[in-house]
Amino acid sequence: MHYRTKETLSGYLSLLPAFLALTAIIFYPMANTFFHSFTKWDGATSHWIGLRNYKFIFTNGELWTLLRNNVIFLLSIPGILLLSLIVSVLLFEEVRGWRFFRSLYYIPTILSSVVVGLLMRMMFAQSGVINQFLHALGLSDGKLEWLSHVPTAFLVLIFCFYWQTLGQGALIFLSGLSSISHEIFESSSIDGANWWQRLFHITIPSLIPTIVYFTVTNAIYCFIGLFALVYSVTKGGPGLETTPIDYMIYIKAFQSPDQLGYSSALSIVLFVIVLFVSWVQLRLSNRFQE
Amino acid sequence: MANRRSFTVNAVIYAVLIAIAIIDFYPIVYMAVNSSRTAVDFFKNPGGLPEQWNFDNFKALYFRFDVLRLFGNTLYSAMAAFLVTMALAIPASFAFAKINFKFRSSLYMLIIATMTIPSITFVIPNFLLMSRLGLVDHLWSVILIWSITSVPSNIFLLVSLMRGIPNEILEASKIDGIRYAQTMTKIVIPLSVPGIITLAIFNTTGWWNDLFTPLIFLQSDELKTMTVAVATILKRFDTDYPLLLSGLFMTSLPPMIIYIALQKYIKKGLVIGSVK
Repeated sequence: MHYRTKETLSGYLSLLPAFLALTAIIFYPMANTFFHSFTKWDGATSHWIGLRNYKFIFTNGELWTLLRNNVIFLLSIPGILLLSLIVSVLLFEEVRGWRFFRSLYYIPTILSSVVVGLLMRMMFAQSGVINQFLHALGLSDGKLEWLSHVPTAFLVLIFCFYWQTLGQGALIFLSGLSSISHEIFESSSIDGANWWQRLFHITIPSLIPTIVYFTVTNAIYCFIGLFALVYSVTKGGPGLETTPIDYMIYIKAFQSPDQLGYSSALSIVLFVIVLFVSWVQLRLSNRFQE
Repeated sequence: MANRRSFTVNAVIYAVLIAIAIIDFYPIVYMAVNSSRTAVDFFKNPGGLPEQWNFDNFKALYFRFDVLRLFGNTLYSAMAAFLVTMALAIPASFAFAKINFKFRSSLYMLIIATMTIPSITFVIPNFLLMSRLGLVDHLWSVILIWSITSVPSNIFLLVSLMRGIPNEILEASKIDGIRYAQTMTKIVIPLSVPGIITLAIFNTTGWWNDLFTPLIFLQSDELKTMTVAVATILKRFDTDYPLLLSGLFMTSLPPMIIYIALQKYIKKGLVIGSVK
């Protein structure tokens, strides 16, 4: 056989197993979901109902509650971004023991969202340690039902999200900081720039690619990664008030009968949203590459 | 610039770092300490220390909830899934990194694009597929879903590593007429070992912590993974906080041990995606 043909052939053969597997578990099911989003489907039989699932999603008002819940998480990203930045800038000062703090901060990140969720659920319970603590400080009557009211339920969920993300954020920004060359810092301090000037004129601007990366990965996480946390902290309640889209897909598909078509349509809506966020990421990262 | 700080600045830095350390670490200590209490003792004073250290909860986990079996289920599934992932991802990554063929970059873009598809959007057809294959409530449904959905991200990381393998080594193997399988086992895989270790850590801890896939595909209690068991079986005993906490603590131990033992690989893996 000719050498080039042989090389081409070995290339395609190397890809074949992976592509067969991806076709069976991702590409085909994705097409299948898309098709069934236009049907009423109970898992065995389906019949075509056109755009009715979509029409229902956009008119029954549920989607706006779900989207609002996702957007609340989305709006919490700047907070954790700022916290991670502050922590990494402080760690970058390399005070004694900074490595110890860096390692410690990462521990919550490696725990399962289930562990974090259930743990916080107990700590924020009515008879839990948080209420006990606030009561001891005289800040509340110690009887607050965190998870039965919407604003406080979100506070608990966002606290879990922050608690899990801070260590990762600090580590990512720290590696971004250490890629800034020391010469820039030194020449700027010779020029008489103080710490704050260096922070705003050198450190932050050169971290922008890392900031974009952090923001976008967490934005995607807010649409596809919250399932386990919501499942273990609030189960989406009270009502649907803390239910994000992915949790709703799960409820409709596995907890309610005959809703598979509706659930498929909701999946496609989620897919389009995530596609849009990824597209924004691509645009932004291309812009900042220069 | 480390030496030019005043005492106050240092004090402020330490104050912030220590405050965050307490917020980060207190819940973990809380989980560990309260695992060793009785429910009665716990509810007298949830924030306090045990009146008496008591390890009945761990005994209950061992005898009543068969925690070793749950650990075994998770470990078996995660290891099998990792082998499947690597078997699929290594040859494909090698092809993308080092072999020239038509449509290489468009196929690679397709793989990368696949990473953005949320896995919940194709779970219903997969559930029906697995039930048709008789694999629902069988560990292999979880193994297949875990491993294949992780293939794209693993290819992404392996390709960027394998591009670093010097072409001269591969050329030499071509001239010697070494076959494809031998190039793989003698050159490509040995040179990729550090990357494979990093991937092993990330994949298996991710799977260990996963709720969604095993929650949907496994139903009987004795087949559940540890994380799902805690979220479902132990949650039935919702009022026995110390018991649930001991389950959470057991679930957290393996990832924490892996993290402490293999820190340097974890940092490497985290940074691959972010800077570049």
